[in-house]
This record gives sequence, C-alpha cells and structure tokens, in this order.
Amino acid sequence: MKKAAVLSVRDLSKSFGSHEVLKKIDLDVAPGEVICVLGSSGSGKSTLLRCINHLETPTSGEIRFHGNPVQKHARALSDYRSQVGMVFQSFNLFNNMTVLDNCMAGTRNVLNLSREEAKKRAIAQLKAVGMAPYINAKPAQLSGGQKQRVAIARGLCMEPEILLFDEPTSALDPEMVQGVLNVMRDLAESGLTMIIVTHEMAFARDVASRIIFMDQGYVAEDTDPESFFTAPTTGRAREFLSRYRESQA
Amino acid sequence: MAQPTNTLEWIAFLFQEYGEMFWQGTLVTLYIAIAGTLIGFVLGFALGVIGDLQVSPHDPWYRRLPVRVLKWIGDVYIEVFRDTPMIVQAMVLYYGLRSAGIEITPVPAAILVTVLNTGAYMSETVRAGINSIDPGQREGGLALGMTSMKIMVKVILPQALRNIIPEMANMFLTNLKMTSVLNVIGVTELFMVAKTTGAVYYKYFEAYLCIALIYFVLCFLFNRLFLMLEKKMKGRADYALAVEYMSDGE
Repeated sequence: MKKAAVLSVRDLSKSFGSHEVLKKIDLDVAPGEVICVLGSSGSGKSTLLRCINHLETPTSGEIRFHGNPVQKHARALSDYRSQVGMVFQSFNLFNNMTVLDNCMAGTRNVLNLSREEAKKRAIAQLKAVGMAPYINAKPAQLSGGQKQRVAIARGLCMEPEILLFDEPTSALDPEMVQGVLNVMRDLAESGLTMIIVTHEMAFARDVASRIIFMDQGYVAEDTDPESFFTAPTTGRAREFLSRYRESQA
Repeated sequence: MAQPTNTLEWIAFLFQEYGEMFWQGTLVTLYIAIAGTLIGFVLGFALGVIGDLQVSPHDPWYRRLPVRVLKWIGDVYIEVFRDTPMIVQAMVLYYGLRSAGIEITPVPAAILVTVLNTGAYMSETVRAGINSIDPGQREGGLALGMTSMKIMVKVILPQALRNIIPEMANMFLTNLKMTSVLNVIGVTELFMVAKTTGAVYYKYFEAYLCIALIYFVLCFLFNRLFLMLEKKMKGRADYALAVEYMSDGE
C-alpha cells in the first residue's frame, strides 16, 4: 500500500443463521480512495458496508480504524461511527426534524458543538448540496433526491474521515439520480475517502479510483476501474458486465 | 320546594339539594383521574423505554445487569396489573398498606392505584408506539454516532408520541370513568356521592342518573378538547423557503 490504511477489514465473516453472507473479507482503504463496490443482488455488498460501521455485528474477523481494532461496546462504537459516516438507500432522515435540525443532530448531540457552530456547518454543507433554501422543510415535504442530498450533508457535517454510501440512488426516481451522483462526484474530487455500494456503472467507472466486485460473499475482483470494465479476470464479472451492457442496449 | 313527583323533578331536586356534594364529587373524580393519568403516563413512558433498551453482549456487565433487572421488574409489574381488576387492586393496595402500618388516606391511595394501573397499560402502548417507528430512524442516528438514549429521546419518542396521542386520550377517558370503582376504598368521588344521596330518599335510579349525566358531559367535553389538540399536533403542511440562501443553487 502506498499510504497507511485508514480502514482495514480483516478476515471478516458474517452469517445470518446458517446463511453465510460474507466469507473472510480482507480490505484495506487508503485515505482519499473512492471505492465502488459492485456485484449482483445478494452478493454481500450492503452487508459488508453495514458491517464496516457495525450496524451489523460481524460474526468473526475485525475492523481496524487507523490500525486500532474497533471495540464493540456502545461508547467505542459511537465514537467510531462519528468518524465513519453512512448514507442509506432509504435516506433515514429524522422525520420529526427540519432539514436544518437533521444536519445539526450529530454535531450537537455527538460532537457537542455550540448551536452557532453547528448551524454554520449545517448551512455550509447544505449550500454545497444545493439544499440550503429548504432548511425549514421536514423530510416528508421533500423529494427523494432532495432527501438524499440532505442526508449527505448531514453526514458531512460530522466531518467524517470516511463516508459510506449504501446504494444511495437505488430508491430514487430516474430524474433525481444525476443530482445526487453529481454531489458525490464533487465529494470524490474534494479528496473525501468514500466506499460506495452502487449499481450505477457509468458513475463507478468515471469516479471510482478502485473497484471491488463481490460475488457470493467473496471479493472476486479488486482492481482499478479501467481494468475491471475492459478486462475483467473472473467469469462472474464478465457475466455481470455483459448483463449490464445488455440492459443498456 | 314541594315533594318531587316524577323522575325529572327528582333529578332537579337532587341537584338542588346536593349540588355542593355533586360538585365536590366531580372535583375529586377529576383530581384523581388527571393526577393519576399524568403520573401514570410518566411511569408508562419510563417503562416503555426500559422495555425497548437494547444491550449488546459486548457492553460491560455494569450496563447489562441493571437493564436486565429493570426489564424483569417492569415485566412482572405490567403482568400483575394487567391481569387483575382495578377494583381488586384498590382493595389490596389500600388495606395492604394500612395493615402494614402506612396510614394512607383514600384519595392518595386512589391516585396510586390509578397511576399503577395507567402505567402498566401505558407502557404497552408506548412500546407499540416505539415499534411502529421505522428502524431506519434508529440506524440514521447510530450512523451519526448518537447513543441509543439520545436517539430514543430526540428521534424515536417524539415520533412515537404523535402516534399514540389518540390512545393516551382514550386512556384518560377510561380512567375518568374507572375512578367510580374507587368508592370501595371510601373515596368521596361521584359514585360515592350518588350512593349517599340516593340513600336519603331511596331514589337510587335518579341519583345514578345524575352522575351518569355528569360523567357523560365530562367525557364529551374532554373528547372534543382532545380532538382539537390532535388537529393542532398535525402540524403545518407548508414550510417557509429560506430565501436568503436562494441564490446558491436550485
């Protein structure tokens, strides 16, 4: 590795009952990397992401953050998660709060920032995603694309070292997708470390610095976007890509 | 006033003759129902939240043990109070406390029974309210690093509360009517007043009709009040655009 890994996944396995979803995953993430995780449904992409920030407790193996194993008790996890943000497919904005309050919830309750400081950060991040005019709106009053941009701003307010995206555009109407992808593209260019589970192939090819292709709980390919899209080494990846191209034709 | 000759005249007569007693009885009934319900709600919310506490096996024992003990106590208490009639609870508590040497008077005892009864039912309602909230709300909070307690207080409960307000109103009305059984421990609430005044002229039907009317009017009024509150809680359907940030993107 060129730089010391900010996040390392070691020997990570996850089973739901007898069903093994992740099988001994190893992964090192260097600062500034933009990793797109691809693969068909059920290949374990989302579970990997959810294990990384411990929304699912791994069955075995460990996650290291700056070389230190992440402890599993509530306090340590809270501290860890405040530095590793997550954007969900279903947004998960707090329905009882306005856009502004959503973006201040983490900074106020976790980082204990003052009201003024938290608001300043929230406005700045909301401006960056074009949602500042909507600070007084409740999530129910926004479109899916708007909600997702607010959710990204909410994550960024914590100034995380890594931001995880779990299929951020899968629940959006087609015309909303580009707006959210553009925001993510800007983030990638700003140097934020990102791990993105997505089905947006063109975006992945364009923005990712590295592609992880998952198949049946394994990392089947771990390579740069050019190699992956032009010369995949595994049969499963070739099949996956040809199915994608057929759907585009 | 001459001796009344029909039911309506008797009712008017009783109200005139014992107006003060009916008024006092109404106040006692309201006092027990309101105090008992409000404190019971607090108890119910506390128990509902405790029931939803989640600890992971990775948490230290001094976090897990108290939660387990509290949950167990809560479960036993809820089961006992849901599976016994309020009238029996009142007797057991009142005479039990007195025979244990605690000189509790009827009204505080009545409030205590109402609180314990409300708490038991309310905790189940709160639990259901919490369960009705999308798990994604909790995950959204966890992903920011918020603690479970913070998520509960800032995110889950405010949403659950809105969902269970109709049930809370319902519980208050039930309590208002259930105070009538508390005459068995000697509380001078409405039922006791009817029993007493009815005995004077042997006009039980008319006396109970009087308090039926009072209960009805009270419940009717509170019902309207709660409906109004509910409408208000619905919140605004629109929001003000922050025009000062309008130029920064659409």
